[in-house]
Amino acid sequence: MWRVVAVFRVITVGYVAFLILRAYSHYAHPAGGLIALAFMAGWTMLTVAAYARPSGRQPWLILTDLAVSCGLILSTRLIDTAGRINHGAPTIPGIWSCSAVLACAVAGGPWVGLAGALAVSAADLAERDAFLPQSTFTNTVLVLIAGGVGGYVVRLALQTEAAVDRAARAEAAVAERERIARGIHDSVLQVLALVSSRGRMLGGEAAELGKLASAQEAALRLLVSGATTEPDVETGQIDVRALIEPLASARITVACPATAVLLPAATARAVGGAARAAVDNICRHAGDGAHGWVLVEDEGAAIRVSVRDDGPGFANGRLADAAASGRFGVSQSIIGRMRDVGGMATVTSAPGQGTEVDVRVAR
Amino acid sequence: MSVSHGDSEARSGSDAVRIMVVDDHPIWRDAAARTLSEAGYSVVATAGDGAQALRVAAATRPDVVLLDLNLPDQPGAQVTRQLLAALPAVRVLILSASGERQDVLDAVTAGASGYLLKSAEPAELTAAVRSTAAGRAVFTPGLAGLVLGEYRRLAQSGASGQAGHGGDSADGPRAPQLTERETEVLRLVATGLTYPQIAQRLSLSPRTVQNHVQNTLSKLQLHNKAQLVRYALEQGVKLE
Repeated sequence: MWRVVAVFRVITVGYVAFLILRAYSHYAHPAGGLIALAFMAGWTMLTVAAYARPSGRQPWLILTDLAVSCGLILSTRLIDTAGRINHGAPTIPGIWSCSAVLACAVAGGPWVGLAGALAVSAADLAERDAFLPQSTFTNTVLVLIAGGVGGYVVRLALQTEAAVDRAARAEAAVAERERIARGIHDSVLQVLALVSSRGRMLGGEAAELGKLASAQEAALRLLVSGATTEPDVETGQIDVRALIEPLASARITVACPATAVLLPAATARAVGGAARAAVDNICRHAGDGAHGWVLVEDEGAAIRVSVRDDGPGFANGRLADAAASGRFGVSQSIIGRMRDVGGMATVTSAPGQGTEVDVRVAR
Repeated sequence: MSVSHGDSEARSGSDAVRIMVVDDHPIWRDAAARTLSEAGYSVVATAGDGAQALRVAAATRPDVVLLDLNLPDQPGAQVTRQLLAALPAVRVLILSASGERQDVLDAVTAGASGYLLKSAEPAELTAAVRSTAAGRAVFTPGLAGLVLGEYRRLAQSGASGQAGHGGDSADGPRAPQLTERETEVLRLVATGLTYPQIAQRLSLSPRTVQNHVQNTLSKLQLHNKAQLVRYALEQGVKLE
C-alpha cells in the first residue's frame, strides 16, 4: 500500500510541475512558484525514501507531511495573484496534497485519513477569501472521499492480506503434517504387512495376530488413500471408488482405475450400495472359504461395477424363488437400487460356478 | 508350469535366479531376502534407496529386482526406468505397502513386470518372483483393473480433443487400444479368475490367455516409451 502512495506522489508531482510551468508567467511571484515546485520534488523524494521502510513511517513524519501540504496550499496566496485564486485556479500543490492524505489513511485507517483530508480541505478553504468556487468545493469533497474511503480500503486490503497469509500458513502446516504422516503411515503399513504375512505363515496364535494386523493394514491403506465419500461442493459428485474401496478385506479384492470415477452423489451412493449388498451377500451366503472380487470400470458413457465370487453358486431359478418369497435381499437391494437411479443390474449364477453381479449406470 | 515351452529356459531353475531387494525398511528387506533365500533363490544384493540400487545393480547384474515403490530419494517409476535403461535384461517386480494406484501404474508403464502388495503371503511372493524371472507379467486383479482404467483414460483423452492429459496430440503417438478379446481377458483377470479358468471359459489355451495379458502390458509400456521420446525431442527442439 505504501508503494501506491509513493507512485501517486511521483505521478502527481509530475502533473503539478506541468501545471505550475504552464501558469508560471501568470504568477505574481514566478520565482516563488519554482521554489515551491523544487521543494515539492525534494519532499517527494524524501518521503518516498522514508515511507519505503516500516521504520520510516513515523507518526511525526506523516504529520509533517500533512503540514507541508497545508503550508504549500496556503503559500498559493503568496505566489499567485488574488484574481486567479478567486477564479478557481488550482492551488500550488494541487492534487499532490492528496498524497499526504493517503499517507494518513494508509498509516491510520479511515478516521485518520478523514482527519488528514479535513486538514487539507481547511487549508484549501482558508487560502481563498472569496466565496468558494465550484472547483474548490469539488476538490474538498474528493479529498474527503480519498481520506475516508482510501483509509477504509487500505484497512480492508491489509486485513485480506493478513487472512490470506494466515490461510497460506495453515495450508503449509497441513501439507507438512501430511508429508510426515505419509512417512509414518508407510512405516506402519510395512510392519503390519510383515506381521500379517509372517503370522499367517507361523500359524496358531501368531496367525490370529497376523489376521488382526491384516485388517488394520487394510483400514490404514484406505485412510491413506484419502478418498472422501462426501460430494464435491462444486460439482456435487462423488468418486465411486471411495465408496467401494472400503469393501476390500482379506476375502474381498477390489480393482479400480487409477483415476477418479465420478458420478452424481445419489447415483454414486446407489452404485456403492449395490456393490456393498453384493459383497455382504458373498460374506453371508457364499461359504467360509469363498473369495470375492469387485471391479470398478469407467467406460466413459457408463460406469460398470462387477462383483464375482468363487462360492458354490446356485441355479438361476432359486434367486427368483427367493425374491418372490422376500427372503433373499439381493433382488431388492441391487436391482431395485439401480433401477431407482436409471441403471440396471444382472445377477447370474450356476451351481459350482459362483455368483456374478453386474451393475451398470449411464453417466 | 511346464518349462519346455522355451520362454524361460535360461531362467527356469530357481537356484540360478539372482535377486536384488530394494527397500528402505530394513525389517522388510531382511524378511523378503530371507523368504526368497529359503525358497532357493540367490539374493545377490540389497539396497536402501534408488541411487544405491542403480549402483549395486550395475555391479551385481541381478535377474530380478524386487523394488519398493516408496523409496526415500526418488519415485519407483523413475528407478524402474533407469534400471531398465542400464540393464535391459533385468525384470522389475514392484512391491508396495500403500498400493497407491497412480504410483503403481506409473511404475508398471515404466516397464515393471508386475506388482504385489507387501501383505502378500510368502508363497505368493515366491510365485510372483518365479513368474517375473520367467518373463511373465505378474497380473493381480488390482493391476488388471488399473491397466483397464489406463486404456480407457488414454482412449478418452485421445477422443476428447488433442490437448489430452499426458500430451497426446494428433501427431503424437496414437493411444494404444485393447482388442475385444484382450478387454475380455483383462476383465476376467480383474475379477479374480486364474489363467486356466479364463482359458476354460473362453475356450482358449492358457498360453494364449497369458499372451493376451502380456500384450496389454507391452502396448502400454511401448506407448509410454514413445511418449517419453517425443517429449524429449520436443524439449530438445525448444532448447535450440
